[in-house]
Amino acid sequence: MEFKDYYQTLGVAREASADEIRKAFRKLARKYHPDVSKEADAEARMKEVNEAYAVLSDPEKRAAYDQLGRNYRPGEEFRPPPDWDTGFEFSHHDFRGADFSDFFAELFGRMGARGHGQDHYAKVLLDVEDALLGAARQIALRVPRVDERGRVALETRTLNVKIPAGVREGQLIRLAGQGAGGAGQPGDLLLEVHFKPHARYRVEGRDLHVDLPVAPWEAALGAVLRVDVPGAALNVRIPAGAQSGRVLRVRGKGIPAQPPGDLLLAIRVVVPPADTDKARALYEQMARDLAFDPRATP
Amino acid sequence: MSDEELLTLEEVAVVCAVTPEWLRDRVEEGLVPAAPEWRFSAVAVRRVRRMVALERDFDAAPELAALMADLLEELDALRAGLR
Repeated sequence: MEFKDYYQTLGVAREASADEIRKAFRKLARKYHPDVSKEADAEARMKEVNEAYAVLSDPEKRAAYDQLGRNYRPGEEFRPPPDWDTGFEFSHHDFRGADFSDFFAELFGRMGARGHGQDHYAKVLLDVEDALLGAARQIALRVPRVDERGRVALETRTLNVKIPAGVREGQLIRLAGQGAGGAGQPGDLLLEVHFKPHARYRVEGRDLHVDLPVAPWEAALGAVLRVDVPGAALNVRIPAGAQSGRVLRVRGKGIPAQPPGDLLLAIRVVVPPADTDKARALYEQMARDLAFDPRATP
Repeated sequence: MSDEELLTLEEVAVVCAVTPEWLRDRVEEGLVPAAPEWRFSAVAVRRVRRMVALERDFDAAPELAALMADLLEELDALRAGLR
């Protein structure tokens, strides 16, 4: 385990006042706020900053950390001496173990077992296909565990989760009894469902949006097209005279929830390239024979 | 499986590491939307987690944290539309 220099993380001196530490934290909290930050590693940095602030903003934890940290440099291999924290009483057990590092858990994770299990909350990122077909996913969670010395250590737990077909963005999946364990009944594990951006599909509520590229003659004359969606191949009739931007609704073929959503096909007319003599001749013939002005006002 | 899993106030409080009183105050003030019978959706959970972080990190007043959550939710919706 590496020693973490919390002062360096916040960019403050060791003798910084509580006020200076708070100011430094807020500056960084704004910089790395996950919703607005443009930094690539904002989330990871925010975690480090939170952890450093949790220690340095608490006079008891800071004092204990200062005493311990005198002999270490950042990155150095670190083993806390046994009973290093004797004489320190941590009155605030604001332990948010799953968010913090092993280093933090080792130092301050002496929260003791709680009376009842805690719910555990995690986001799970799924493919759109999973919502249509259902899927089995392995999810790795970092969970605090209380050992026999009453300390909390983080351990990775892998769960096999069955994703039911019909799941929607923002929905919660509850796994009864799979949350963080305590002395008593384990709590539930709650998974919040999110979809990865997909090149072809976009989910809105229960509806599935798909782009449907068509050739000009298919749009003009009408056609029956085969549309592949996960788990199904549909035959969709394109009405004659369809234009780009027209949306065809296929009822009940969206996300298979109860009731199921619709499949929405956005027609996009794709113009073939005029890159052969033949193609050019066809376009020239249309230009001559059709007398078509797309900008004419009706 | 039920179509939409809704949580109780106590469950949301545990998930967001706040006391039930903290959450009750904000629901009564209209800062956190609740479905009938004080049930909460995943959207509400995400909102509460944001508000907790804003109040904690910046000592923000609850109303200000809620306003910021409103703006972030709007940002989410606009970004989803761009996708």
